[in-house]
Amino acid sequence: MNDSTNGNAADIGARRMLLAGDTTLDPLARLLERGAEAPKLRCSAAPYGQVYQILLDGGHPAWTDNPDYLLVWTATHLTLPSVGKLMRFESTTHDNALREAEQFADAVIAAARRVGMVLVPAWALPAHERWIQTLTWRHSLGLANLLARANLVLAEKFAEHPNIVMLDTGYWQASLGRPAYDQRMYAVAKILYSQPLFEKAASEIRAVIRGSLGLGRKVIVCDLDNTLWGGVAGDDGPGAIKLGAPDPLGECFHAFQSALKGLRSRGILLAICSKNDEAFALSVIADHPAMVLRKSDFVAWRINWKDKAENLVALAEELNLGLDSFVFLDDSPQEREQIRQILPQVYTPDLPASPSDLASFVSSLTCFETSTLGQEDRARTDMYQAERGRREARELGGDVESWLRSLEIEVRAAPLRRETLPRAAQLLNKTNQFNLSLRRMDDASFWSWATEPGNTVYVFRVSDRFGDSGLTGLASVSRSGSDARIVDFVMSCRVMGKKVEEALLGYTVAQAHAGGAARVTAPAFEGPRNAPAREFFAAKYSSGDDAAIDSARVSVPSTVRLTEES
Amino acid sequence: MKDVIAILNDIRPGQDFSGASDFFGQGVLDSLDLIALVSALEARYNMFVDVQEMVPDNFRSLAAIQALLARHGVSL
Repeated sequence: MNDSTNGNAADIGARRMLLAGDTTLDPLARLLERGAEAPKLRCSAAPYGQVYQILLDGGHPAWTDNPDYLLVWTATHLTLPSVGKLMRFESTTHDNALREAEQFADAVIAAARRVGMVLVPAWALPAHERWIQTLTWRHSLGLANLLARANLVLAEKFAEHPNIVMLDTGYWQASLGRPAYDQRMYAVAKILYSQPLFEKAASEIRAVIRGSLGLGRKVIVCDLDNTLWGGVAGDDGPGAIKLGAPDPLGECFHAFQSALKGLRSRGILLAICSKNDEAFALSVIADHPAMVLRKSDFVAWRINWKDKAENLVALAEELNLGLDSFVFLDDSPQEREQIRQILPQVYTPDLPASPSDLASFVSSLTCFETSTLGQEDRARTDMYQAERGRREARELGGDVESWLRSLEIEVRAAPLRRETLPRAAQLLNKTNQFNLSLRRMDDASFWSWATEPGNTVYVFRVSDRFGDSGLTGLASVSRSGSDARIVDFVMSCRVMGKKVEEALLGYTVAQAHAGGAARVTAPAFEGPRNAPAREFFAAKYSSGDDAAIDSARVSVPSTVRLTEES
Repeated sequence: MKDVIAILNDIRPGQDFSGASDFFGQGVLDSLDLIALVSALEARYNMFVDVQEMVPDNFRSLAAIQALLARHGVSL
């Protein structure tokens, strides 16, 4: 599925990928290069059958282009000699095959140091080929049993290497409904897989890469009538809408809502855009016994009679997120067409013709791919809800200063550690607005940069009386002589507008001076959407010294309590 | 025939397939494109190209492709 382009794409340059396999992977290389979405991929498929040479030898000609990514797609029976033997019923043991799997894993791990990410499609059997059914899952005897164990060997070995990603080839095959292997192509050109499987693989690999670059979408905006439930609540009456058992159609919408709830639980925000009476629609959501999604599952809504494009823009402003992080689900082809025309940044897919396919449609969306699943992801909706509470408090309360004081904002600063690296890298890569340099780095490169002599990375956790926003700030400093340069300065938009950025900068600059720096600079990179960060820094520069911070303009505000974790 | 040209253009955008008489000889297509072409024709016309038919001769021009399709009962 093509999940359409994302506006951040402009910042993302081309990436190179090396494909290594024991069969011809050129068709996949071509499909990957043809993708319309960012990043542009330049792919080279190494001659087949040289997998180990390429993995173990960094001087192999295949590495000439210095690829960013490595794809290692092997067939078990070709890469593990013992599996080939077992397939032919020749004498060998599962233990031999598993030892070979370990060797393969070690070779992949050795190669993983040379690239940002290694993609390893899991080993699979041709799903349509019959093996001895009585024996295939028998421990230490059957082929299905061995393949599962061999894949687990890989997964266990790779567990310590987050830049090695195993891909779910079983799902690729099952999703096709057509043969995944093509014996003719193997006979003609040593191509093991069918073109449809390569197309699926290309789409999924691109999704994984986009996810790793923070190009995933963040929000689903849903219509209500005939989208979250069957029927029109305002016309039919809330009791007559199709939702929940025993009505079959009601079951389908119930399953759809459950699928959306699953996304919400892993950090995707849900919002509503519907032409309805707000009080009435919210009462249906609150009171209908079969609703899976309740008011607390949505971070924002626009339920009114206005134009939907206008409402989506308002939602983006309210959530402080770009429209390019939005997905819009609406049963009306007219509404969808309008949004596609006016707001092409919003991904507006067609919904399946049958409501029974709605739930699996949600699972098939590739735009929510993520490389980590942290505590912040799971709690994201709660954090946005807390933000709604803060806004309402501001609207009620008087002046800004006393409002800020009433929030009891607390910032905890700490040096970057292994445990906080995944979230820190996620913040670095996903933040567009309050991001000084827009530097994008995967976990491994960021860690290796952070641990170089002279470089320091601070992470900041922010909380207030409405709740904990989690790790939402990051600053990195590179020292050279008496100069310190702030390389990254990133803050989640979740905590914007509360002088938290003042506290973060105050701390960072104070640390640099304490470490002996006489001059602190913070050169900004001009990106399409990081004006908030650039404007913040513009007010901090000394007059006459480009990008140098004037310490007199920097301090931790009295409304923020800053503590330090060692 | 318009459909076939569309399929070819999908595989190799910007090439002049109507004007070429030998796709492979003139470098308009290569052997990997042949694989993609077979797969696309099969999907479009619900047919099956057998392994002995997967030779450049059957795909080197619009006329050759038309003849192959005709042998499979597909008339354009």
